[in-house]
Amino acid sequence: MATTVAPPTAAPTYPNVATADVRLPSVTSYEQVDEEILATLHPTVTWFLGLGAAVTALLIGIACLMYQIYSGLGVAGYNPPIMWGVYIITFVFWVGIGHAGTLISAILYLFRAGFRTSIYRCAEAMTVFAVMTAGLFPLLHLGRIWKFFWLIPYPNWRLIWPQFKSPLVWDVFAVLTYLTISATFFYVGLLPDIAVLRDRETNPIRKQIFASLSLGWRNSDREWRHFARAYLFLAAFATPLVLSVHSVVSFDFAMANVPGWHATIFPPYFVAGAIFSGMGMVFTIIIPLRRWFGLKHYVTLNDLDAGAKLCLFTSMVVGCAYLSEFFIAWYGGSPVETQYFWNRVFGEWWWAAWIMLICNCVLPLSLFSQQLRRNTTWLFILSLFINLGMWFERFVIIVPGLSHEFEPWQWSHYTPTFVDLGILLGSFGWFFMWFLLFVKQLPIVAIAEVKEIIPPRRRGVHDGNHGIRRPVKPGRVPVTVPGDD
Amino acid sequence: MQGVLGVFKEIDATVDAIGDLKQGSYRDISVFAPTLDHEIEHAVGAPESPVRRFTLIGGLCGVTFGYWIAIWTSDYWPLVVGGKAIASWIPYTILGFEVMVLIGALSTVAGMFINSRLPNLTMTVGYDDRFSAGSYGVYVECAPEQAKSVEDTLRRNGAVEVRNAR
Repeated sequence: MATTVAPPTAAPTYPNVATADVRLPSVTSYEQVDEEILATLHPTVTWFLGLGAAVTALLIGIACLMYQIYSGLGVAGYNPPIMWGVYIITFVFWVGIGHAGTLISAILYLFRAGFRTSIYRCAEAMTVFAVMTAGLFPLLHLGRIWKFFWLIPYPNWRLIWPQFKSPLVWDVFAVLTYLTISATFFYVGLLPDIAVLRDRETNPIRKQIFASLSLGWRNSDREWRHFARAYLFLAAFATPLVLSVHSVVSFDFAMANVPGWHATIFPPYFVAGAIFSGMGMVFTIIIPLRRWFGLKHYVTLNDLDAGAKLCLFTSMVVGCAYLSEFFIAWYGGSPVETQYFWNRVFGEWWWAAWIMLICNCVLPLSLFSQQLRRNTTWLFILSLFINLGMWFERFVIIVPGLSHEFEPWQWSHYTPTFVDLGILLGSFGWFFMWFLLFVKQLPIVAIAEVKEIIPPRRRGVHDGNHGIRRPVKPGRVPVTVPGDD
Repeated sequence: MQGVLGVFKEIDATVDAIGDLKQGSYRDISVFAPTLDHEIEHAVGAPESPVRRFTLIGGLCGVTFGYWIAIWTSDYWPLVVGGKAIASWIPYTILGFEVMVLIGALSTVAGMFINSRLPNLTMTVGYDDRFSAGSYGVYVECAPEQAKSVEDTLRRNGAVEVRNAR
């Protein structure tokens, strides 16, 4: 939140190469920020096509759900004892995706990580929509969706309360708390930006809607003072919450006596995996957006580079967790565990395990190369592999464990049906439908926070660069950064 | 409620105007800025935000409620398993923590709204659309006989526009 002010010097600038003093060199005035970011809100044909595709995917998912409700859970491919399948895999996948948003907005805020500013709004929106998506899957998995409220502790005529020692009840609390806090954090951060929209909007109906949503925010010193304090405390609350939620999700597995699940490494392993997958999804979303919306000078290569380093670090933590699991299975001397892990990598599910290992541990090693970290095409392709690998990580945890329990008579097979896959597709449709609606209604880059890192206008400096300028060496031309296509 | 509003283009001019107005014993000053700025915060010299108290009280209420609901329901409807405590604090810590975060964070937001006087249904006094773009505003609440002096102070410090607001 610090406002850095440097003495003015008389020299022109060259674009988009950041330094410690000048984070967004091509952004020179507050008015420019408003103009360029608000310009992203105009709908385009591509946007309508994307929204149409997302709604179609969602409708396919809804049709499959209707069929499942009509026919019963048997159509979902469950094969006892494998009673957790695509729905729980996808639940964990989306909760994991939802972790990067609050990580970026809360933890990186507390650490004052500069690269957060330009990407956190997208990441927060992604979090809210991902957790909204994740929350659907335990309900779908119930079969009788309309009984979901049995998990909520409320005084009822049967005098029955939830079992608070059950990880499934912890999960309800953790995920609902996370959804509430993420949505609150998202909305509070949006207030000043909604006020900008309100003040620039010409359509009276939309202006009225933004006026209501902004709650009458006036940018006064009183509002900024309490806003800054509240934002700090929200970040301080959200930080342990991020770490706790996926730990609680991991307890769903670690508290069960199933081979491969009953391990104390699960909470940190799940948290690292969640951050890793969340960063993957951030790249999947932000790289096309910065290109389509012409925001390369806001979401700079430096920001992507820093995000890629975080991705690399969490990939290595996840890789270390995989190796630890294998090592403990061997070192622990339990034949069941040993056989389970052997089966995971060389048995029936070898293909899933190798997809996981290659996508999550091998390909991300490419990020040791700075050239590849700053190559947006490669980052985007890699992010797709990370999404795929992290979905398969949850598959590899859940399905081989349940299909290869302690006794041979418990061993079974699992094949997802079209209903599973249709609902999985529908979840992506649901997520992207909300996200696409968001990108055309609200700013995807935090206007107020970007203004905070631009040096403010000062007396005697009228070049529109707010006083901070960087000298151009003789003969130097504007830099084209390799990989920033 | 009436006063004088000065519109500024530069932050240092705004800060100087605030300083001069404070020296002139004007205490009812509102400053509008497009973004959070510590220079303005220091110039205004407002006391520490009380939002932290809302956070603390909300968090304490939340953790108490989280433990209480789990312990009370276990006691009310015991699920007796041999050798196991009916109310076990270790799993209930998860409930306590989650509810602490939930209530604490919501109290923080409530504290922000209450102290910032949000929702604010009247946008008229002192506010201008330019303050969410690139301009700064200094609104001084004062009696009509003081208005001239305030206008002079604002103009002297570089206000591009000065007007009476009510």
